[in-house]
Amino acid sequence: MKILVVDDSEAFRKVMIELLVKVGFHEVVEARDYNEAVEVFTREKPNICFVDMILPGKSGVELTKALRDIDPKATIVAMSSIINKKMIKESIEHGAKDFLLKPTNEIALSSVLTMWSD
Amino acid sequence: MGLLSRKAKVKRSAGEAGLGITRKYDLLPGRSYVVEEAPPDISFDAFVNIVSTAGRDGTKTMGIAVSRQHPDMIRQKYGLEQTPVYWLATRAGEDVIAPTNLGILTNTIIQFIEAHENSIILLDGFEYLVTNNDFTKVLRVIDQVNDHISQSRAVMIVPVDPRAFDSKEIALLERNMERIGGKVRPG
Repeated sequence: MKILVVDDSEAFRKVMIELLVKVGFHEVVEARDYNEAVEVFTREKPNICFVDMILPGKSGVELTKALRDIDPKATIVAMSSIINKKMIKESIEHGAKDFLLKPTNEIALSSVLTMWSD
Repeated sequence: MGLLSRKAKVKRSAGEAGLGITRKYDLLPGRSYVVEEAPPDISFDAFVNIVSTAGRDGTKTMGIAVSRQHPDMIRQKYGLEQTPVYWLATRAGEDVIAPTNLGILTNTIIQFIEAHENSIILLDGFEYLVTNNDFTKVLRVIDQVNDHISQSRAVMIVPVDPRAFDSKEIALLERNMERIGGKVRPG
């Protein structure tokens, strides 16, 4: 199971990767923005992508749409440090499967991974 | 309503609109949970996730939050539109509960539990309540609310900063509550 973490904060990516390793997911790739995420996604073909909704340049919603255009079966989980209902609705409409509030934790992360890792 | 110095009016909640996301926390009805963490990230995440999603049987859960953080800030960050949020503070104003007014605090929570079949209570600010009263008095509030919770389908979450209490106090608090693993973020 390969996981892609997209966030412009290096510190957050590090914490997220540590958390993923802790809950048993060791194969993790990362990207800091839209362009890098599209490149890594195309090359690595991850099973699940965690995408921050607020990215420099093109947004997480636009990235969700782009990743789903590349692979309509892509499993994308939107992330944000605030609950903006409009943004969550938009990302789900564009193909995100779920939402995680940042900073996330072991319980919420395990639950999302259990739900979408099949 | 001032400092709620007289009788608090129970607020009925219409509940939050569903977010179309999954329920991530499997908290059992009739139970109370203590989360040892600072800041209370897991507690708020669980609370918001539960009020914004449907349970396994499709039922909605109505929430009430009591916090040291200002309600406007909580509403903005967590997108809560319908959930009553009370501010633990000594300022006058609507939806403010004075930290020394433990009777009003207890009544507000108990009335909410009785008014809703499925409810969740977030009691954030345990340390603040203890500084304004004493540990035993605040523990009595928790025990009293717990008695109502165990006879209902309600759930209560109480975040606690373990650095603020000794092991005996933590043990007393956890006596009738389940513990959810948390974390303490360094200063």
